[in-house]
Amino acid sequence: MSETLDDFALSKRIQKKGSIQKVGIIGCGSMGQEITRTVAQHGMDAVFIEISEEKIKEVFAQINEHLDEVINQWGLTVGEKRIILSHIKGSIDYNDIRDADLVVESINSQKPGTNIEMRKDIFRKIEEVIPDDVVITSNNSTLMISEIASVLRHPERAVGLHFISPTSSIKIVEVIRGIETNDASFDFVMKFSKMIEKQAIIINESPGHISSRLIVTLINESCEILMEGVGTVQSIDTTMKMGYGLLFGPFEMADRIGLDNLLKWMDNLYAEFGLQKFKASPIIKRLVRAGYHGYKTGKGFYKYEHGKIISQAITATEFN
Amino acid sequence: MKIIVLNCGSSSIKYQLFDMSTADVLAKGVAEKIGLHGSFIKHERMDGSKVKIDGEILDHESGIEYILGILKSEKYGSIKSFDEIDAVGHRVVHGAESFKGSEYITDEVIKKIEECIDLAPLHNPPNLKGILAMQSLLPDVPQVGVFDTAFHQTMPAEAYMYAIPYSLYTKYGLRRYGFHGSSHKYVSVRAAEILGKDIKDLKMITCHLGNGASVAAIKGGKSIDTSMGLTPVEGLIMGTRTGDLDVGVLLYIMQKENIDYLNANILVNKHSGMLGITGVSSDMREIESAAEANNERAILGLHMYHYRIRKYIGSYAAAMGGVDVIIFTGGIGENGPESRLAICKDMEFLGLEFDEEANKGKRGKEVILSKPGSKVIAMVVPTNEELVIARDTERIVLNKKKK
Repeated sequence: MSETLDDFALSKRIQKKGSIQKVGIIGCGSMGQEITRTVAQHGMDAVFIEISEEKIKEVFAQINEHLDEVINQWGLTVGEKRIILSHIKGSIDYNDIRDADLVVESINSQKPGTNIEMRKDIFRKIEEVIPDDVVITSNNSTLMISEIASVLRHPERAVGLHFISPTSSIKIVEVIRGIETNDASFDFVMKFSKMIEKQAIIINESPGHISSRLIVTLINESCEILMEGVGTVQSIDTTMKMGYGLLFGPFEMADRIGLDNLLKWMDNLYAEFGLQKFKASPIIKRLVRAGYHGYKTGKGFYKYEHGKIISQAITATEFN
Repeated sequence: MKIIVLNCGSSSIKYQLFDMSTADVLAKGVAEKIGLHGSFIKHERMDGSKVKIDGEILDHESGIEYILGILKSEKYGSIKSFDEIDAVGHRVVHGAESFKGSEYITDEVIKKIEECIDLAPLHNPPNLKGILAMQSLLPDVPQVGVFDTAFHQTMPAEAYMYAIPYSLYTKYGLRRYGFHGSSHKYVSVRAAEILGKDIKDLKMITCHLGNGASVAAIKGGKSIDTSMGLTPVEGLIMGTRTGDLDVGVLLYIMQKENIDYLNANILVNKHSGMLGITGVSSDMREIESAAEANNERAILGLHMYHYRIRKYIGSYAAAMGGVDVIIFTGGIGENGPESRLAICKDMEFLGLEFDEEANKGKRGKEVILSKPGSKVIAMVVPTNEELVIARDTERIVLNKKKK
């Protein structure tokens, strides 16, 4: 049996308790991929679970493409890309995350209304394979971690951990304690946030946290202004971008979030609060039904080609 | 006295165990890929026996723990107990203006090192991790910090100030600091020793040419100028760093390529230098091979590299009002006779008569490169930063004991 460094440890102890070496990520859509990349970039192993081998191949192709783009913008070297990829594995088998130190749920359910049930289902599946004290987090934006965790035998290990896209440049995460969340699990997630170099914003559980709730109202109000014919998609965006220093104007932001995601957020928030300001604007409903889902489909409030805006997709006069 | 010298990088730890009574290196090695896949320790003893041991190294503290374990082990060790270790010396990259020399590590010193992190965000944090790890593993053993920047703190203001608004200097400490201090110090002292001259009478130009590279002008044993600046990016062309660059170029690139300061930092530190120009590699040997195979960009890269060093030698000779000794050290300085020739030829006007025969094929040894009658002496002095760190550590610990 060949010797290893463990033979030279001063005190015979196994891996330090509480260290985070491997993170399981359930669901590797655009958000799941961003989380996977963040984990790998910080030297931890990322194992993502997807629904098929085909999807896994797709994920790797997309991650590759994204990293190549970062290299083209001088943000990474080829050697560093190789190291990052060496940390990422994909699987369809939940058993491959049984030794994870942390599991992050980041699915994107396609059918509206099935979201909460799907997430509960996944939490149950995760709990079947991992030890009782390993923390499970959910990335979702508008549902409550207390509810999702209620199906667990050990709900005290569940914490809400919400990332905002693009995670490579957004330096915060929202951390939400569920009703049952214990101190150890909460502290663990705070430690993880530090490890991935994000400032943790502590949220007292409420639908939409801070981020989704505010962005939804901003976008809805922007739609109101558009419908009234006060300005165009472009002029409203430019006003907020250059007038108030936002990274993207409200409509471009909506396109990047994904109008289908946005609609889900609005439906959930309206269901929770019953307030008009959260009710999805008819414009958004119309765009989503027409398949205009935003940046990822090339069409939303804007039309996109090669990732750049080429024109507005709609004008205000359509709604007069 | 037995002293461990540690040089902690972001994912590696280089170590040497010295017996100060003989200046022998009882053991040395490197722990690599800390916190990454496939970490290992390569260990070598004084008798030349080498071993590579694989294993998971999570962080610097674990790495140092394994290193100590190996040093004490029956199989590969050089000591029987940690009581034999009298002191630990740490290489700390940036000491800013807080540290003009090596310092005995106290809580206050640690705090000051932390304050310098802003100026060296890639280097000081791992240096600090090494210090804290040693404190926790060997709490009773005295520790000393030896700063790369300290040797250059003797520069006059006209050499270290940048022509930017003075308030920015006072607010942030923005000035030239210079690095490789222990190396420049070692080779200059050693050269004077070899030549049998008093260092106080000498004007020396030391060229540390490794993956990182810098030149220093040393007058009377004191550094009076050096090519690296606030950060290790300034000065010579390096493996992946730009060296001197019109600041306007960086601003232009940031605007046109639409990149922020973070990516701009990566651009000038990792995508530039010999790698950026040649497109071949950051490794000198690979570039030289490509140049021999007539790769035009490799040839251009080598010309640029040598030319930049020549300019520095010329300007430092002017700065000191003359030069007596030119020293080559570092990986390329010690092992690159072709580079040394390209840099030193046609320097007769300066008083240097280069001896091509003496230079040919010489690698890794102390050797004189100039002809016997040459007014200026050129020579190779292999560097030994670890010995400087060990000696400084010994001196400081002994001084403290006296008090």
